[in-house]
Amino acid sequence: MQLPSFEYLRPATLREGLDWLSEPGTDTAVVAGGSDLLVNMKLGLVTPKRLVSICDLPGMQDVTEDADGGLRIGAGCKLTDLLQHETVTGNYPALADAIRAVGSQHVRNMGTLGGNLCLPTRCWYTNQSEQWRESRQPCFKTDGELCHVIKSSARCHSLNSSDTAPALIALGASVTLASRDGTRELPVADLYFDDGVDYMTMRPGEILTEIHLPPPTGVSAFIKVAQRNGLDYAAGTIAGWFDGAAARLVLGSIGSHPVSLPKAADLVVAGGLGTKTIDAAADAARADLGEVSNLFSPPGYKRRLARSLVRRVLEQLADLQGGGK
Amino acid sequence: MSRQIINLTVNGDRHEIAVAPNQTLLEVLRDELGLSGTKRGCTSGACGVCTVQQEDGRAVLSCLALAVEWDGRAVTTIEGIAEPGQLHPVQAAFLEYGAVQCGFCTPGLIMTAKALLDTDPTPDEAAINEAMAGAICRCTGHIKVKIAIREAVQQALREREPDAAPT
Amino acid sequence: MPRRPDFSAVGHSQPRLDGTDKVTGRSLFTDDVVLPGMLCGRVLRCPLPRARLLNIDTSRAEALPGVKAVVTAQDAAGIWLGINQPLLSPEILNHVGQEVAAVAATDEDTAREALKLIRVDYEPLPELKDMKAALAPGAPLLHAKAKGNIAWEQADDHGDPDAAFAAAHHVRTDHYVTNPTHNCYAEFHVAVADFTRSDKLTVWTPTQSALLFQKSLAAGFKLPDSGVRIMCLNSGGGFTGRTATRPHHFLAALLSRKSGRPVKIRATGDEEFIMCRAGGRVEYRFRSGVDRDGRLKVVDADLLFDTGGYVESQMIVILLTSSYLDALYPVEATRYRGRLVHTNNLPYYFHHGGGLAQFQFAFGQHVNSLALDLGMDPVDFHLLNAVEKGHTTLRGTHYASCGLKECIRKTARQAGWKQKRRRKEPLKGIGIGIGAMASGAKGLFKHDTSAAFIKVGDDGKATLFVGLPDMGQSSHTAMAIIAAEVLGIAPTDITVASGDTDLDPLDVGAFTQRGTFNTGNAVKNASLDARKQIAKTAAAELGVRPSQLKFSHGQITVKNQPDKVMPFAKAVFNTLHSQEGRFVMGRGFYNSPLESGSMAYSFGAQIAEVSVDPDTGVVTVEKVTAAHDVGRAINPRIVEGQIDGQIFSGMSQALFEECVMDDGQVLNPSRLDYKMPRAWEMPEVEHIIVESVDPHGPFGAKEVGEGPIVCTMQAIANAVADAIGEPVTEMPIAPWRVLKILGRRKDVA
Repeated sequence: MQLPSFEYLRPATLREGLDWLSEPGTDTAVVAGGSDLLVNMKLGLVTPKRLVSICDLPGMQDVTEDADGGLRIGAGCKLTDLLQHETVTGNYPALADAIRAVGSQHVRNMGTLGGNLCLPTRCWYTNQSEQWRESRQPCFKTDGELCHVIKSSARCHSLNSSDTAPALIALGASVTLASRDGTRELPVADLYFDDGVDYMTMRPGEILTEIHLPPPTGVSAFIKVAQRNGLDYAAGTIAGWFDGAAARLVLGSIGSHPVSLPKAADLVVAGGLGTKTIDAAADAARADLGEVSNLFSPPGYKRRLARSLVRRVLEQLADLQGGGK
Repeated sequence: MSRQIINLTVNGDRHEIAVAPNQTLLEVLRDELGLSGTKRGCTSGACGVCTVQQEDGRAVLSCLALAVEWDGRAVTTIEGIAEPGQLHPVQAAFLEYGAVQCGFCTPGLIMTAKALLDTDPTPDEAAINEAMAGAICRCTGHIKVKIAIREAVQQALREREPDAAPT
Repeated sequence: MPRRPDFSAVGHSQPRLDGTDKVTGRSLFTDDVVLPGMLCGRVLRCPLPRARLLNIDTSRAEALPGVKAVVTAQDAAGIWLGINQPLLSPEILNHVGQEVAAVAATDEDTAREALKLIRVDYEPLPELKDMKAALAPGAPLLHAKAKGNIAWEQADDHGDPDAAFAAAHHVRTDHYVTNPTHNCYAEFHVAVADFTRSDKLTVWTPTQSALLFQKSLAAGFKLPDSGVRIMCLNSGGGFTGRTATRPHHFLAALLSRKSGRPVKIRATGDEEFIMCRAGGRVEYRFRSGVDRDGRLKVVDADLLFDTGGYVESQMIVILLTSSYLDALYPVEATRYRGRLVHTNNLPYYFHHGGGLAQFQFAFGQHVNSLALDLGMDPVDFHLLNAVEKGHTTLRGTHYASCGLKECIRKTARQAGWKQKRRRKEPLKGIGIGIGAMASGAKGLFKHDTSAAFIKVGDDGKATLFVGLPDMGQSSHTAMAIIAAEVLGIAPTDITVASGDTDLDPLDVGAFTQRGTFNTGNAVKNASLDARKQIAKTAAAELGVRPSQLKFSHGQITVKNQPDKVMPFAKAVFNTLHSQEGRFVMGRGFYNSPLESGSMAYSFGAQIAEVSVDPDTGVVTVEKVTAAHDVGRAINPRIVEGQIDGQIFSGMSQALFEECVMDDGQVLNPSRLDYKMPRAWEMPEVEHIIVESVDPHGPFGAKEVGEGPIVCTMQAIANAVADAIGEPVTEMPIAPWRVLKILGRRKDVA
């Protein structure tokens, strides 16, 4: 597959990049690593006329520790580099495991954390060649009015399969979004809509420049289940975090956005990580789960998996807690 | 779509090439420079046959690398990993231990394995699996590929410490 | 293992002779071929599962600068694929992705643009989504000659099945399903055609049979066979996926003829899944009867094959599967019915494993269940029932060598079968699969000939010419070893020349596992012919009879006269540099003396050990112990490699591979979403090579190209059933299929 034509721009400053991005009528996209964007461009799924490359911008590949003990990660940091960063692997094991779960080593050598957070949603009716898609009626994602995945649905059910998003949400991370009007901070939890087409809350003209992790507290873990170990989109992922007073549980690759499980988390806060609470939380997770996509595996399977994932991550957190962490 | 001149060092040789923004590194290596050892496979990052090494030794997929982003950079391909008439230890091990069958994915597998050993000279089983998971080989089923990598590691250890390494 | 004869080349592991070129990236494949003026060809495909072509307008594409040729149905009149598929149909289209037109342009961008400028009007027609729809009363007929949408049917009884069932102590019926797959070789489909001369078409392409490609293209273009030259540089894998020409071979040629320039067509992305056309869905019904002692007496099989919109060569799968009913067990009677059913899916060809490995997934589980019904250990059941040397099946297949029981015993002992079955752990399972495989099978032509030439230079080195393609199985190196053994020189003294039908001797090709046996015998015969020519010189010079000479280690010696010796190279030199100037050139061929079927069969047994994750349904294969009777291992490490690759492919198909179909379209047409295991998933593999030394094989050798894969899927399936308490009857054994069973079996987890 060949890439369609486009113009390639490498800004010297963030300001220049933002200016180019905001030029009206130019159809400009941001590229940071490109391992997903270029595949979608080859499929003709997105056809930006200009690409603005942001990886080489000053600060984009920096990892700096905050005065408060948190961590700031440039959006252009290569995933492999982050796995070699002792603060990331030592203080944020859920993030490290999530990064390790992304694609293959080849992909992690090229892909960035910002890129993985902005991973486009995927579906096997749209992530196909142009000629393939011609066999089907247009769907929500291709300017039509139906969803091939859940035919009765009024929205697109493409799957968000970012591995790092659930981990960052569980860890309470936020991102910096830069635009020509300045910057704003947004919790990663608020970065996504539950919609396969409009899957990100970022506004036009914004660039995700930085990921901000709060000081490490409590215990965290991340689990990915896929049919194949390595280079496989997940059947389901889960990230969990618990510090005794608060807990967060987030499922990934289950719907169009990472799904937080507040009921299950509340049970953990109230009851700790004993076997009974874990079972109850796993059952409660089912209640938190809305519509489950039947993409890539049957919906019944994903539901069952979600329950197992909750139980497993909580067991892992209990082990970590027991280990005096 | 205007072409732009990039300076690309391939296997130590400097090239000044006019590339279009939509050309991948794979296309430049094969179609512009005639280096056909790097194979064109799925062209979407899933099969690993187009693997090359970047400056720090890491394996990257040339099918998903924009050539324009390689201006001023250096890449190593299968054609550039051994002295003339010689084989790189990974190549020798692949040949000796039957890790080569049809040979189409072989350059990508070898570049992936070499990248692993360049960055981790004594990988354990998990590290080998992790590195090789980005590549696929139906002929060998990965079994003799993993044996060859383990043997290349042992060979390097023997050469480094001829007396210490077990034979 | 029996005492080995004193071989100098056979039985010694030899790295493949083309290996250096392969590890250095110097080996050329078809996509590396760049010819002067070569154009890029692309194909316009039908978007609908079934449609009528109303109108096609290519004028705008033809007007696009850089477009050099556009071809449509009118350019392709009279060219057919298989039984009922026109290369470019002028009217009815029967599957998504069917070829409608093709363009050749100076570059890929232009070719792609040109496709978009072709305007086609289609009238959608009611489609047949699956076999159920196709067989329903009143279903539209896809082909007038295929009544009831049955494209082909074979039904036959051997022995008296009704009487055998009536006498049976226990009868069991099972149903199974295997799903469509892709052969998933590394090198996508590709062809370069040069048809700039009207009397000679040259096509570069990966292939398993240059001969079949040559004949097919010659017939299509009404040329004599010699008017078509097939160039096969290297093939990036075959796996039964490159046995027949596909539309792109013809389209590249048509475009080349029309444009007057060479044209390359390469599958891009999902196109690979349309062009490949591997095996389709198969539904199996087995009913078998055993006697009181557990002897299998009668087998009744009813199989439905989805053949898609057209029929190419799936009739062969029917022949193969029907012949398998009595291949492993000396039953009294069999009943077989196999039907190819037309649907609006892709026209299907062969799974890796030729349909037999998939058949064995089903039949192997059925037999396993029968054994368990009787309270028998499956290994004991196989040992009681398995065929032996000298057996002749109901269909007349004779086993001149057979190490099946030895394979079963050895693999069971090595795997610790008895102990592991006694100490059963929850969610862990162990299973066995057994199989047999023909070494070549006559049936396509009146002959099943392989031929070989060998020229020996006056430096004592030889060049071996064969028409057998090497898709990676290292057949060329095996052929060099056989020639080297006969001539008493080293395999590295031999260059194998192949891959050009203008030069190669005839060979039917590398399928039905005929290479080692057929071409191996041809090479042996050619080498014997050359040896005879050299022996004449050596015998005269040493003053002995030719029959007293022994060729080994580069020397010609005289039996029982150790002082008489002559270097091989000198004998060849003296043969040429003589008054007669005799050039040493051996020729030989081999053709099975049978009317059909094979002279030799390989046998094997594999034991798989698995564990099942009760939360995710993911099956992990922990170990496979594989014992295979290959007659004689010509190149042991390569034999192991063949076993490895097939265990991988068998495991991959058993657990992962499925073309997920929806309205005739593959939903997962990529190396990412069409799942195959990778480095992490591979189990420990233990090889046991059994050498039964076949009387007809070259140095006793039989095939090892597909014997292993017929054992793997059933072994894994039986192990999964052992782990979760009941069989997963649909392949692949995907996590959701496992979890569904676990969900209702609280006793297991």
